[in-house]
Amino acid sequence: MTTSQKHRDFVAEPMGDKPVGSLAGIGEVLGKKLEERGFDKAYVVLGQFLVLKKDEDLFREWLKDTCGANAKQSRDCFGCLREWCDAFL
Amino acid sequence: MAAATAAASSAPQQLSDEELFSLLRRYGLSPGPVTESTRPVYLKKLKKLREEEQQQHRSGGRGTKTRNSNNNNTAASTVAAAVPAAAAGMGVRPGSGDLVYLRTPAGLGRLAASVPESPVGGPGGPAAAPAAGSKVLLGFSSDESDAEASPREQAGGARRDRAALQYRGLKAPPASLAASEVTNSHPAERRKPHSWWGARRPAGGEPHCASGPDGAAEDEDNEGEDAEDREPDAEEPPWASRAVNGSRLLPYSCRENYSDSEEDDDDDDMAPARQVSKDDSLSRHRPRRSHGKAFSAPPAKSAGSGPETSVQGGGGLAMNDRAAAAGSLDWSRDVEEAAAEPGGGCDALDSSPVPRFRAGARKLAPLLASPVPDVDSALDSSPGSLLKTNNHIGGGAFGLDSARIYSNSLAPSAAAQSSLRINHANHTGSNHTYLKNAYSKPKLSEPEEELLLQFKREEVSPTGGFSAHYLSMFLLTAACLFFLILGLTYLGMRGTGVPEDGGLIKNPFDETFGKIQDLGPEYEDIFNTSLLWILKNGKDVGIRCVGYGPEEELTNITDVQFLQSTRPQMSFWCRFRRAFITVTHRLLLLCLGVVMVCVVLRYMKYRWTKEEEETRQMYDMVVKIIDVLRSHNEACQENKDLQPYMPIPHVRDSLVQPHDRKKMKKVWDRAVDFLAANESRVRTETRRIGGTDFLVWRWIQPSASCDKILVIPSKVWQGQAFHLDRRNSPPNSLTPCLKIRNMFDPVMEIGDQWHLAIQEAILEKCSDNDGIVHIAVDKNSREGCVYVKCLSPEYAGKAFKALHGSWFDGKLVTVKYLRLDRYHHRFPQALTCNTPLKPSNKHMNSMSHLRLRTGLANSQGSS
Repeated sequence: MTTSQKHRDFVAEPMGDKPVGSLAGIGEVLGKKLEERGFDKAYVVLGQFLVLKKDEDLFREWLKDTCGANAKQSRDCFGCLREWCDAFL
Repeated sequence: MAAATAAASSAPQQLSDEELFSLLRRYGLSPGPVTESTRPVYLKKLKKLREEEQQQHRSGGRGTKTRNSNNNNTAASTVAAAVPAAAAGMGVRPGSGDLVYLRTPAGLGRLAASVPESPVGGPGGPAAAPAAGSKVLLGFSSDESDAEASPREQAGGARRDRAALQYRGLKAPPASLAASEVTNSHPAERRKPHSWWGARRPAGGEPHCASGPDGAAEDEDNEGEDAEDREPDAEEPPWASRAVNGSRLLPYSCRENYSDSEEDDDDDDMAPARQVSKDDSLSRHRPRRSHGKAFSAPPAKSAGSGPETSVQGGGGLAMNDRAAAAGSLDWSRDVEEAAAEPGGGCDALDSSPVPRFRAGARKLAPLLASPVPDVDSALDSSPGSLLKTNNHIGGGAFGLDSARIYSNSLAPSAAAQSSLRINHANHTGSNHTYLKNAYSKPKLSEPEEELLLQFKREEVSPTGGFSAHYLSMFLLTAACLFFLILGLTYLGMRGTGVPEDGGLIKNPFDETFGKIQDLGPEYEDIFNTSLLWILKNGKDVGIRCVGYGPEEELTNITDVQFLQSTRPQMSFWCRFRRAFITVTHRLLLLCLGVVMVCVVLRYMKYRWTKEEEETRQMYDMVVKIIDVLRSHNEACQENKDLQPYMPIPHVRDSLVQPHDRKKMKKVWDRAVDFLAANESRVRTETRRIGGTDFLVWRWIQPSASCDKILVIPSKVWQGQAFHLDRRNSPPNSLTPCLKIRNMFDPVMEIGDQWHLAIQEAILEKCSDNDGIVHIAVDKNSREGCVYVKCLSPEYAGKAFKALHGSWFDGKLVTVKYLRLDRYHHRFPQALTCNTPLKPSNKHMNSMSHLRLRTGLANSQGSS
């Protein structure tokens, strides 16, 4: 599966304070929804990802429930976070 | 089912976090913390799992299951009505009644739905229907109880619950507490009776195992393993021990990580069968290691060693297979080395037995699974390792005998002694040994032999082995040469029986004449007369006159140019001498030719390397220039006072030290040309600065963020992964020698000098430790091993603390102690080292990351 530019950008460096919209798969709309729920920064979503033990199904389910991400979006987001963790965690 | 799901969806809100957690765990899931954000996800998951379970129940057809499912159905249907009826049903069960009563409002319904509870007629469930209903509700208390045993369970359930209450001492509402306890006890019960729950669970043991198949399926694995570390977990809630595989394994792995790394090449040579069996049993007991690849590695290794076993002979074969198959505890390089250097140990006929012996040592090492996770025992395990390590030090002249001994008898001491004797005796060597060595040379063409050859080259460096190795080679070539010359001489002499061209005296007539004329002019006349007589005389006088051509008709003595003997007879010695001389001359010419070719090749190689080096330097320079220009450009962006261009000589002077300028002139010029030709972001202009014309560089790429490529520095220390405590490090420093693993990946390294960077990094990390006297980077090890020797065990301990568990270049570094004598065998040059090593410069490049983070380079290292 090829990765998007957003994915590559995100995975290339520590996320620092990047907004949640910088995650792959999270665009404006989803980003807004996540922010409303309190996930305003990418690291908060990372936290959720880690709390769910990096489990794909659970995380994607959570993402769907929280902001209504579709399958592709949640897949992208999950992949992005996973790779980031592989590189930096 | 719809009702169930509908009911279930409403009920879950009342599930507490712990219940949800424990329920999920029942299904074999290892859930993360249940927080407000994860709760809905987990609830959904639970629902899904329950549905699956019901599906399975329905299709499974096992008695209990069907009953369960039936109950689920009935329970589901009654759940909705059960809540209000709960109160009524409650009273039925005095013992557990109160618990159930409390339980129900807490959303028992959903749980009860899936529970196999009531099929069991409870001990005296008073009324069938209400009993059914109440059992449904009560079900939670005997949630995990199985159909048959539930009567007992029901009775004991209350007891158990109360006991659980006391045991847990939790403050949570007793119902939920009991509930969780029961659920907890269920998994506990499913295990073999053990410790705390032993008295309560005797009946509950197997029946419980029957229920909850899907959940249990996963648990079976865990249970077997759990049985072992049950003792430490006894006090903990039983379910916790199953909690997370990772955490459960951690104590194991920490113990094992350190200990099993002992069953390493340092362990040697005991009776392999005995060890292998131990190995097998041990490996069975340790199904999962912290390094997960352990289990993929052994199969890979066994595959890898498969083809290699063909190279071996004798016992080595069996040993190798077992070594690989046993999934030897040490998945490290040693086994791989062992697998990879197979033939060596047991291949008798080998002129380069050196690496193979080491291979044998390595190979046997993993077989020796020392059950005691202790460095000492591991290190002590076999003196016979001396044999192996000795061998590679001893150099090439091992030949046949020691190899044979090695393969035949693995009795360490005997082998060691005899091999030691053989080692020395072998130098006198017999001819056939060397001949056999010659014949075995073709084997070196196999691919793995290249690995051995690399080892051989490495091993040859020890001074002791040097002369021995070359002596054998020399004698070998001398013998070959001798036989060659003998044969050719024989061939040269063969033509004695042939009259035509044997023993030619092809002297030009003139020469002969000239010589005879020395005798005096008076003899000339006689000479001519005799010549004429020979010519005219048809008789065979043994002299034949030959003209220029072979069939020329000779009419006059002046036509005669050559005299030829018709009966060539030379003495044996003469012939031999001539043939020998001819042969040696020809051979010498041949050798000269070969030497010339070699010299030419070497020269070309040298030039090529030099050119590569220069090109590399040039590129380095180019990179530096680009960096300088770019940073200058950025500085200009901020500070508008600066000129956006930089004079070339200024750049040069800032990059190249004054004393290097002359040396680097050529490199610099090439770099400048390269930039002019190939770099589009830099423009060369001429500007007038301070009255003089300068060639300047201007950086013309707009500073977009796209140019910001984050360079992840390589070869730097990146912090410590875990705190060193008793669990993961030995209590005291045992020896002054260390083996550091996972410092690099040999396939990823490029260039020739990377090992120096590794050495530098280690020295810098241990810069406060001035007791390191010898460092050796094993360039070929797949594990990335570096060997370090210190002045004393205390220094080694310091270095251990500094290095073990640190992150270097993205890899987790581990350290273990090595025995001093074995270290010396491997690196005899370390015997004489006793001057502490220091990093070569003060830049501390490898600590740069740490410095940035902590501001103090050494704070990471010390502990």
